[in-house]
Amino acid sequence: MIELIGVTKTYGKKQSTFKALDNINFTIPDGASVAIVGKSGSGKSTLMHVMSGLDRPEQGQVVIDGVDILKLKVKAVDMFRSKKIGFIFQAFFVQANETTYENVALPLEIANVSAGERRRRVIEALRTVELTDKVKEKARNLSGGQKQRLAIARAIVNSPRILFADEPTGNLDTQTGETIESLLFGLNKNGGSTLVIVTHDEELAAKCDMKIYIKDGQVDRVVGGEG
Amino acid sequence: MKTLDIIRRAGRSLRNAKTRTILTSLAIAVGAFTIAISLAAGEGARQYANKLIGSNVNPQVLFVVKDQALFQAGVGQTGLTVYSEDNGTTPRGITIQQLTQADIDKFTARTDVQNVTPVYNPQLKYVTFEGSDKKFSGEVTSYDTTIINNATFGTLPKLGTQLGLDEVVLPTTFADTLVEQKVITQPQALIGKNVSMTISAATVQPTVDEITAAFTTGGQVAVVALTKPKTKVITLKIVALTKQSATALTGTNAFQISSEQARIIAEYTTKGTSAYQKYPGVTMLAKPGIDPAAVKADLKAQGYAPQTAKDLQSLIFTIVNTLQGIVLGFGVIALIASVFGIVNTQYISVLERTREIGLMKALGMRGRHVSRLFQFEAAWIGFLGGTIGAIIAVIVGTLLNPVITKALDLGDGTSLLIFQPIPIILMIAGLMLIAMLAGYFPALKASKLDPIEALRTE
Ligand SMILES: Nc1ncnc2c1ncn2[C@@H]1O[C@H](COP(=O)(O)OP(=O)(O)OP(=O)(O)O)[C@@H](O)[C@H]1O
Ligand SMILES: [Mg+2]
Repeated sequence: MIELIGVTKTYGKKQSTFKALDNINFTIPDGASVAIVGKSGSGKSTLMHVMSGLDRPEQGQVVIDGVDILKLKVKAVDMFRSKKIGFIFQAFFVQANETTYENVALPLEIANVSAGERRRRVIEALRTVELTDKVKEKARNLSGGQKQRLAIARAIVNSPRILFADEPTGNLDTQTGETIESLLFGLNKNGGSTLVIVTHDEELAAKCDMKIYIKDGQVDRVVGGEG
Repeated sequence: MKTLDIIRRAGRSLRNAKTRTILTSLAIAVGAFTIAISLAAGEGARQYANKLIGSNVNPQVLFVVKDQALFQAGVGQTGLTVYSEDNGTTPRGITIQQLTQADIDKFTARTDVQNVTPVYNPQLKYVTFEGSDKKFSGEVTSYDTTIINNATFGTLPKLGTQLGLDEVVLPTTFADTLVEQKVITQPQALIGKNVSMTISAATVQPTVDEITAAFTTGGQVAVVALTKPKTKVITLKIVALTKQSATALTGTNAFQISSEQARIIAEYTTKGTSAYQKYPGVTMLAKPGIDPAAVKADLKAQGYAPQTAKDLQSLIFTIVNTLQGIVLGFGVIALIASVFGIVNTQYISVLERTREIGLMKALGMRGRHVSRLFQFEAAWIGFLGGTIGAIIAVIVGTLLNPVITKALDLGDGTSLLIFQPIPIILMIAGLMLIAMLAGYFPALKASKLDPIEALRTE
């Protein structure tokens, strides 16, 4: 369960402050698929960063599985991210000069997984996104859609409890977008992990159990779920 | 994150930036090369010195003087010293205290030493060679039994054995002069020939009684004879011509005679003067099984200034170490320059890889591990630079060794540049450490990066 209570994030200093998030409150149940919807610049990415402990808001609590991650030490937050969270960033952020394999192995290395286990899980993740034939390929040689799938493989390789996807289909053609969508929802339904998708695509949002609409850093409305 | 994984990742990052990595390591390689060469030259020089001393000096030998000033290199003047009848003057004009016969007797009486041989100072008036009446002047020393001499012609006594009383050894250069002067036709003709050494006794002011006695017995002529210095001729047989060996420590350029003969000449020429039975120094051998250092300590306690073969070695080593230190200094300067290269490269690397760092941190990588990643990269650069420098040094050294040996006439089988694995390994390890230190600030910067900011950079 993810619970946000009175989260406020301000950018800038003194006179020129800007509230990117303003008193956000909502609860996401375990295993749900959630869409965070809003216009560009409304604060969706910022919200995702705050929920994952990447960014620290000035006010409020982010309670995940009963623990306020904002109260944890840096080391514990790092550990939490490495063990429980999977990220698909808005701009894929794959390491262009590393191979597909090395890209996917990175979260496992960080999480201290043994080499043998690493190999097994990387291959499995690549099979899920159908990239097994590109194992040794440098990431820079992959197509846009393949890069996106690589980013997904890297996000799921750790079997995270919560998967954050920032505009996962934003730059893709409809068909590839659909493949990826079904991949993400498959993981959510079969693996039982919570899926948080940031999007401005209403069609994609409609497929989610729960929709959180963001407007100017505030929760506009929440559709579905218990919240 | 496991250290091994960090190291591997660091290596991979470097491979992805090949040109930069190689250029930075080359800067280190320059320093590493210089250091490796200086280490090799130092080792080579020490081994050479050891060989030199080992083949020239009996390890049991002690050289004892009364005055420490003789051993202090660079002493030009001794300043004001208390006058003593026993003072003598070295060829450089330094007043030194000399050993007396009583000292020699004391050494001879010791049970822990043997072959006590004072340094005599025999002086010749002139010499002539058999078959010619041309007069030559030259110096004479006692034959050193503790060093290995090589004969060009004739035969020398075994190491540790003295020449016979009526034998003399000449340096080959003497023979060359004699050939030039047409005394002989070829050097080997000298072997077996006689040398006549004319020595003169010190002029002693005769007493009134002596003059009176001479006048009554021999008249005017006898008085003149009395005041005229007495001379004596000593005839010796040439047994060998010596050649200066490549590993000889000191070249003797004098007639070499037995120490007994040297004593006879020295005593004859100094009798009646204050130099009579005074010796600048004495050599002796610690008996087999006796540590020369123990003898040295005992003699020192008695107020003498003894030196062992080891002291000679350490003196040479000090010189070698100083020279090595100078070359090493240049290497260190080159290294300092390359350290800035590493700092610069690593800063650029951190800037270039801001997104990568952000990603790793977003995925939960600890700041400490990010910092380590960059430090290991720096260490890899240090390793690469050190290895390249060392390899080039070994190749260059191996190629240069025969040339140097020939140019310096060190003798076959001697190498001045000796590369040893352990110092080289230590050097590379040291360079890795230095590189890691140099990479500290860039690494710190990387570890402090805010992942959000880092991911925002396009
Ligand atoms: N470091 C920052 N300093 C100042 N303002 C910031 C900073 N980061 C984000 N913002 C501002 O906060 C607001 C929310 O940004 P955010 O990236 O969350 O938008 P978004 O909803 O993800 O938009 P998009 O759909 O275009 O990705 C924007 O107006 C942005 O300019
Ligand atoms: Mg965004």
